[in-house]
Amino acid sequence: MDELIRQAQQGSEVAFEQLLNGCYDRMYRYALKWAGNRANAEDITHQACLKLTRGLPQFRFESSFNTWLYRLVVNCALDWQKTHLRHTHDDIETADSSATSYGNAEADIHLRQVLKQIEQFGEGYRETVLLVFGEGLSHREAGEVLNVRESTISWRIHEIRKRLNPLKEGGSK
Amino acid sequence: MNDEELKKLFSNTEASEPSPDAKNQALSAALTEFRAMKKEADASDNQAARSANSTATENTRGIVQGIVKWLRPTVKSTVEARGHTMNTTTHSGSAFSFSNHKWQIAGVSTVSVMFLAVMLANIENTEYELQRQGLTESDLASAPEFDTDHPARLEDLGDDGGALEMKREVGTLATEPLADRFILADRVDNEIQPKFQLELGGNGLLMELEALNSEPRSDFAKPGRLLREHAPMSSLRDVGRDRFSSYEAHPIKSAATDPISTLSIDVDTASYSYVRRQLNQGKLPKTNAVRVEEMLNYFDYDYPVPTSADVPFSTFTNVVDSPWRPGNKLVHIGIKGFEIAPSEVPNSNIVFLLDVSGSMRNYDKLPLVKQSMELLLSQLKPDDTVSIAVYAGAAGVVLEPTPVREKATILASLQRLEAGGGTAGGEGLKLAYELAKLNYRDDAINRVILATDGDFNVGMSSSESLKDYVSRKRDEGIYLSVLGFGQGNLNDSLMQTLAQNGNGVAAYIDTLSEAQKVLVDQATSMLFPIAKDVKIQIEFNPSTVSEYRLIGYETRNLKNEDFANDKVDAGDIGAGHTVTAIYEITPVQSDSGLRPSSRYAETERSRHDPKATEYGYLNLRYKLPDDDVSQLISQPIMIDAVDKPSESLNRETNFATAVAGFGQLLMGGKYTGNWNFDNALELAQANKGKDPYGYRTEFVQLIRKAKLAQNH
Repeated sequence: MDELIRQAQQGSEVAFEQLLNGCYDRMYRYALKWAGNRANAEDITHQACLKLTRGLPQFRFESSFNTWLYRLVVNCALDWQKTHLRHTHDDIETADSSATSYGNAEADIHLRQVLKQIEQFGEGYRETVLLVFGEGLSHREAGEVLNVRESTISWRIHEIRKRLNPLKEGGSK
Repeated sequence: MNDEELKKLFSNTEASEPSPDAKNQALSAALTEFRAMKKEADASDNQAARSANSTATENTRGIVQGIVKWLRPTVKSTVEARGHTMNTTTHSGSAFSFSNHKWQIAGVSTVSVMFLAVMLANIENTEYELQRQGLTESDLASAPEFDTDHPARLEDLGDDGGALEMKREVGTLATEPLADRFILADRVDNEIQPKFQLELGGNGLLMELEALNSEPRSDFAKPGRLLREHAPMSSLRDVGRDRFSSYEAHPIKSAATDPISTLSIDVDTASYSYVRRQLNQGKLPKTNAVRVEEMLNYFDYDYPVPTSADVPFSTFTNVVDSPWRPGNKLVHIGIKGFEIAPSEVPNSNIVFLLDVSGSMRNYDKLPLVKQSMELLLSQLKPDDTVSIAVYAGAAGVVLEPTPVREKATILASLQRLEAGGGTAGGEGLKLAYELAKLNYRDDAINRVILATDGDFNVGMSSSESLKDYVSRKRDEGIYLSVLGFGQGNLNDSLMQTLAQNGNGVAAYIDTLSEAQKVLVDQATSMLFPIAKDVKIQIEFNPSTVSEYRLIGYETRNLKNEDFANDKVDAGDIGAGHTVTAIYEITPVQSDSGLRPSSRYAETERSRHDPKATEYGYLNLRYKLPDDDVSQLISQPIMIDAVDKPSESLNRETNFATAVAGFGQLLMGGKYTGNWNFDNALELAQANKGKDPYGYRTEFVQLIRKAKLAQNH
């Protein structure tokens, strides 16, 4: 992997294409969970690919490429939200009713609801839960991606657990 | 909810794989970017030297230049200047010699003079500049956009009575000689330009601005979202300048007083691609951008195939119930062009005329043009010839007529093309025709294929003179097709006019897959006309039809008396094309009509009529490509067809109905009653058929997107 990155940094188109090809699915997967529908996830990933292209020369192997990649997608998703939610408040909710991700529809809607709730806990919570539970990153890795301390991640996860539990008792299946 | 449940929740939604289309699109965009970066890196070594040179020459420029230059400390300023207003910035760079007070200007007249200079210099290049600067998304979010093409926006600011705050990227390329322009452009790429805020008092500027907007544009869009979803972050697009002619939907006409309707067929598809692009960006398209007939004809319908080239197409009619107005009927007229067997495909002499002006620099413009041309090349025969002409600030020949078998030569010249400079469309067109003429072949189809994002702003640029020129060349045997690329600057009506007069198609290419559709899957239709000047005339039977309305074809009206006049130009059909036209009619017995019924006409209607089994009579005129005399095909439109259309034909009819309905909804749904996107979705979904290329599935998705966009 590192070799591929180096070659791409030195201008090898083949290496670059291979690298991107390998990353795309992972980026898309995160974007899809984040956005909840295909079209938006595709857009975000598209942006992320371009950002990756431009940012690649600056990648210095100081963190793992994985971390770097997640940070990129997270930022793209947030940027995307910034430009879109100015116009649409309930994008997430309206989106999943029709342009679904073709997944398990019910679980999908449930996930949307949970994420929506988690989002209201504060900034960074949604990303945290997506990275830790959705992508299986450790607290340390998630901290690196989000540029916060490991303990912050642990705290957020703790909060999420604590605050989601009343939801369960409140009768959500 | 515990961790396990949360994890499970995530894994349940795993099912969806990324769509290969989107992936390819993203990858190819990234690759284009990658190449561009590589090129920049290679060039950067020379840059310092060149930029020093050009600064020296600037000092010798004239008076306008003087003012402009005074506004242009960009070259030397540094990153620190970014985001500050000029009033507050302190600069350590010694090159910053002018003092801050120059920016505080009280007198309106002084401002106007200065402003004029900037405007003259910049009016063409604003968006071009913005595209080049690699602004990041957060920049865009924080920097309010100033767009010279939005007087409405200026007015808002002016009305506030407050200071007119003007924030623009200073680029003065228009007044530079061409040679310097490229150097400047390079500089812009590598240096981040500071934004200048000009604090101007009063609103006398408004008039200046409007006067400068010499081209009246009726369709200013509201300043849209800055960032488009499919855009790379570096390309800030200007969306308000796509130009469409405005028109009204056809009114309902009475069959008793106005029984004849005449139209020219249209095989263009540009509107559909444009609409798709807008919807993919989460916006409903402007109503003027929607042309129902182009949406209808985007799809290939499985109509009966003509058997010989003598009568080059088959006509098919089908009458079905109107889904949006119970009681009304829809009369479908379908035409299917003869398919040329591969062995009989004539030769081609093709001139690519490519717009390489600065505005073509986006990834979805020139790079896509190159890819598209490569695709088209793969469809040509070895002994066909291809030439390439480009136009930007000046027109030039890139490739002399070259046989397709020397593919490497052609590809190499394509790859060398780069975008930069103004747009001399008229000159380019002349040059392209000269090239076509140079290599004119009697036994071949001689055609110019123009690829542009719509700018024709130098030289012979009035619509009328271009149109006349193109029709003259058509009569000389050289045809013209137009491919539109990109958005923000698209001159749709000019594209239409040129293609219509050049016996060609106008298509809008927004993605590589659209290029594939137009230039590969339908290459023969695009390249080889099988009939020209195809006109449809229907006479409705007043004793069975009380009123009727043509759906779409607003820009394709013909006078009734022009139907049989062979001098009057009309649309052309390429090999294998399908064309669909739909009339909505109200049968006499039905009370679903919208026009008031006439108290006195009743008696006449109830009279017994031996032709009461017909709704009307369809006449169709066409000329074979080399003929000047038209042929006539006629057939009645029966109330009860003797041969019931097969199930698959009904399916095709229903899908076309869904498309027509959707198009009308996008135009505002004046005649569609309570019928809505959900109904369109249902109808389209149920009648997708085999859909080998997935176009119809995409259409279904578009309806969903329109529904979402509508709710926003």
